[in-house]
Amino acid sequence: MTELLIRNGYVIDPLNNVHGEVMDIGVKDGKIVPPDQIDTRYAKIIDATGCLVVPGGVDIHSHIAGPKVSAGRLLMPNDHYKIGRVIRAIPGVRRSGTGKAVPSVTNIGYKYARMGWTTVMEAASPPLYTRHTHHELDDTPIVDKGVNLLLDSNWFILEYIENKDQARVNAFVSWILRATKSYAVKLVDPGSAEAWSRGVATQPLSIDDVIPGTSLTPKDILIALATAVRDLGLPHPIHVHANMLGLPGNYITTIKTIETVADIANKRGLSIHLAHLQFNAYKGDSYATMLSAAEELAKLINKLSGVTFDMGQVIFGGTVTMTADAPWEYYLYHLAKWKWVAKDVEAETAAGIVPYKFRRYVYTNVIQWGIGLELALLVKDASKVVVSTDHPNAGPFTRYPQIIAWLMSKKAREKEMTKLNKKAVKRLSLPAIDREYTFEEFVISTRVAPAKIIGIEKIKGHLGVGADADIAIYDIDPRTFDPSREYERLIRAIKYAKYTIKDGEIVVKDGKVVKTTYGRTFYVEPPSDPKLESEVLGDVREKFKEWYSVTLNNYVILNEELRKIEPIKTY
Amino acid sequence: MSKQTFSFLNLSLVTGRTIIQGTLVEDKLTKNYLEHVSTLKLNPTDMRKLGLKNGDKVELKGPGGSVVVKVRAAADVSEGVAFIPMGPWAEVVVDPETDGTGMPGFKSIPVTIVKTDKPLTSLEQIYREKEPILNLGQTFEREAKGEIRRITDVVCPFCGSLCDNLIVEVQGNKILKVMNACPLGLTKFMKSHENRIPYPMIKENGKFVKVPLEKAIDKAAEILVKAKYPVLYGWASSSIETARLGLELAEIVGGVFDHCSTFCHGPTALGFHEVGMPKSSLGQIKNWADVIVYWGSNVSEAHPMHPSRYSYFSIGRHRKGRKDRKLIVVDVRPVPHARHADMFIKVKPGKDYELLVALRLLVQGKDLEVPEVAGVPKEKVIELAEILMAARFGVMFVGVGLTMSGAKEKNFEELFLLLHDLNKISKWVIIPMRGHYNVTGVDLVTIWTTGYPYAVDFSRKYPRYQPGITSTADIFLRGEADALLSIASDPIAHFPRKVAEAMKKVPIITIDPKWNLTAAFSKVVIPAAIAGIECSGAAYRMDEVPLRLKKVVDPPPGILCDEEILRLLLNKVKEKLGVKP
Repeated sequence: MTELLIRNGYVIDPLNNVHGEVMDIGVKDGKIVPPDQIDTRYAKIIDATGCLVVPGGVDIHSHIAGPKVSAGRLLMPNDHYKIGRVIRAIPGVRRSGTGKAVPSVTNIGYKYARMGWTTVMEAASPPLYTRHTHHELDDTPIVDKGVNLLLDSNWFILEYIENKDQARVNAFVSWILRATKSYAVKLVDPGSAEAWSRGVATQPLSIDDVIPGTSLTPKDILIALATAVRDLGLPHPIHVHANMLGLPGNYITTIKTIETVADIANKRGLSIHLAHLQFNAYKGDSYATMLSAAEELAKLINKLSGVTFDMGQVIFGGTVTMTADAPWEYYLYHLAKWKWVAKDVEAETAAGIVPYKFRRYVYTNVIQWGIGLELALLVKDASKVVVSTDHPNAGPFTRYPQIIAWLMSKKAREKEMTKLNKKAVKRLSLPAIDREYTFEEFVISTRVAPAKIIGIEKIKGHLGVGADADIAIYDIDPRTFDPSREYERLIRAIKYAKYTIKDGEIVVKDGKVVKTTYGRTFYVEPPSDPKLESEVLGDVREKFKEWYSVTLNNYVILNEELRKIEPIKTY
Repeated sequence: MSKQTFSFLNLSLVTGRTIIQGTLVEDKLTKNYLEHVSTLKLNPTDMRKLGLKNGDKVELKGPGGSVVVKVRAAADVSEGVAFIPMGPWAEVVVDPETDGTGMPGFKSIPVTIVKTDKPLTSLEQIYREKEPILNLGQTFEREAKGEIRRITDVVCPFCGSLCDNLIVEVQGNKILKVMNACPLGLTKFMKSHENRIPYPMIKENGKFVKVPLEKAIDKAAEILVKAKYPVLYGWASSSIETARLGLELAEIVGGVFDHCSTFCHGPTALGFHEVGMPKSSLGQIKNWADVIVYWGSNVSEAHPMHPSRYSYFSIGRHRKGRKDRKLIVVDVRPVPHARHADMFIKVKPGKDYELLVALRLLVQGKDLEVPEVAGVPKEKVIELAEILMAARFGVMFVGVGLTMSGAKEKNFEELFLLLHDLNKISKWVIIPMRGHYNVTGVDLVTIWTTGYPYAVDFSRKYPRYQPGITSTADIFLRGEADALLSIASDPIAHFPRKVAEAMKKVPIITIDPKWNLTAAFSKVVIPAAIAGIECSGAAYRMDEVPLRLKKVVDPPPGILCDEEILRLLLNKVKEKLGVKP
């Protein structure tokens, strides 16, 4: 394997207390080593003088693979054909690809790498279809990945919760994570899939509403799964898309959701990760009077140590929304009035897909845009904030550089606001916020925070000895460069990294993909009590015949079906 | 009833699968198969009109040409309709024109039949060959030795139902018994050793010569590298691992990657592009569906286990079998499962679109101003609309009856919009009845790699997609392709004759376990092992549920899996093009 020596870069590595120092970084066998261990006679030397050297980016929440992503691709041929969106094949170097909002797997891997991102977590995958998700992840070049598993409406779990049998919930969650080679527990609008399957999802479910056909409320599910995550020692806390998403006034539900599980922290002190919080931070009683609830939520998050979130920042333009919240998507279809896809999964979940366009002149869309930034700027500790667009729901991930520019430059925000609906801008508190992210905060909210929340901070999110050699080198020098003024150059520099190094190999040079590699898939193997597990499996086997259309043995995904897998330690 | 006799009749021809055609489809050059697919089924009344008896001969004239076939009376064919199983005879008559969809007209074709004494059209006449068509298929004897093993949860590699509960008993390398399978699956397993391509071969001076595998691969790579616009067709009867490599191969040689969707549910994808649809997994139907509609699908002959495993006979959590469900069948002819139906709607061939529009009007609360729609009386249409609206969980299983006839992809746009409207009142989902066991999987692997479902053109080194232009039938009709790779498929037997003739003009590479018509006209023939019996891999069910195919016995000695052959071919192509592997 090649050895690399990155010389004279301006390194920011907060996890190792490097807050901006000129230093060398050594890379050997895909890992970071002390620079003096590199034999400069054979090693490839990268001169990073005047460049920013940081760990590879980590995306905590992005819909990049699985049944709904492919359904989105099929729904949007108009997203793929434009010349600027296609990648031409160079045999031996890179594969071809298409698409922007719903790109093909190759475009996803290459475009993340081009920006210096090297790890991406697929946001939601139904267990029955997770083999499909893995197939796509296996074909996604360069990045490392993992799967968040949808468990909020699983019939077995609902039944165990109704029987108040937490031990069996734990055993089942442990088994299903292993059986599907998944990484974390995802909840999407808990309970809504059950209502949707029954065809009675006419009213959105609030956190205290009884789920049709059961005696449970979404609150019960939240508590049970948070407890399971804690008891099993999973590295990532519950990953929650809270109830009432997208509806005015939903911030009360969000606050209740946070308060419900605030005390059930996992062994790393984290109790909940709120996905795309922007969509759950609305005040007001209709879209015409919708207001930002960022201040209320930021206040609560500042107070609690175990609550983290990703932004779900809105990007103006056309995109495709996709989520395992089928009733919401059907509602959105009536607002957007174009195309609609729903996908029900037996005994597990239900998803929907609707193309949508965020418009600068629409009051509601502008409020949504402001909320994402307000949340990121009002929460004091950047290690609770992760940059995301909930790709592709609020916008494509390729616009992260733009979001970073908005966070780091008040000027950039002001310039954007001149183009927006004036009435909406007046009602935002964003114009009054002076905070600008520092380079260190940029590194934290795109690298350190997601790595820590996911629980992979031993190997990702830092450049200390022993970490994976995932490195991004950007052509900007923080000592002389003022992002507040030169935000356009900042966007360009992040969009086209000077170098991206993945597992010690140069995959991007001067903003161009120069090598196609394939990363690993992370999963967890939580402990379980063999006796209890065999009891649970006996129960599952019996019901599986009636509830499912496949056999239990065929439901389980074997190690050899995946390209490269790596278990992550539980606690 | 009219006693008048006619000298000719104008009918609407429907081509389709039958259970016999399905069990013999992998042994095409057998007498049984050839006889079955050259027999036209007619309604007894129509037979009487022409004064025909079973076994008489008629000349069948359609937009593609004419053939002489035998006739047989059948009660499951409506008056005014003629039915012929898919196969070489049908392909002469059908309409090769795809109307810009990539899908030739296989159903509701206007044909004329005349009683004749001419001799039956032979296979050689169809393909305009002077010599008899070669059959080099051989039976490979499997050795039964040692203990009997029982392999459970085997996934059946035949149709899109992808039943995963088969139990296969194997002794040594011989399959003794297959349980839980339908006749189609059973034959696929039990006859897996018959009609095999015995060794790699190359055609030299019109004769097949046995060659080592390396030489066949080299020749195949040479053809693909030389070609300016090769078409890589097939894929749907192999694993997605094979298709993945196929996509890379198509990209490198700048060819077209196309698969059987172009021929079955391609128009469904085109309708999906326009408006999208509510889908569901099959277990959801089992657990919830109380109204089940089969539209243009001959489920009992094409997917025999579908009703009992996933549909009206299935027992789920909230619906227990047939008594809890209503079954509605919409078709141009009384297909066999119509006898189980609570309501059978006989629609005029090619007029499904009209019926869908009428249903949409009714669902939207409007009135019909005509006495009948698509041959269905107004009262019956209203009754149907009321059942649809009263459903608690309804499902539409749509077959190729809708994709291959009439308005093709517009049928689907209208159907999907009907479902969008119905979901305001009740809950409805739709599941296309996919034919080949992994056609859904190949659709998906093509989608996630290129963004498009089928007919993907890599001639500019990036994916382009325009059914009607980049689809196999159209490319060959325009005479643009200059090579064909046929893998796990038999395009010469199933494409309209005009397309098949264009295919015969280019060098063909066949990679298949079984000898077939395409192999007979190939330049290079490479035998492959059978995915799902002799190779493992992944396949996707019609509702996109992915399953793992199992290997139950070893392939014949020296014969590799599709995946391995493709990898060798890909590396050889890379070598010839000077690309590092």
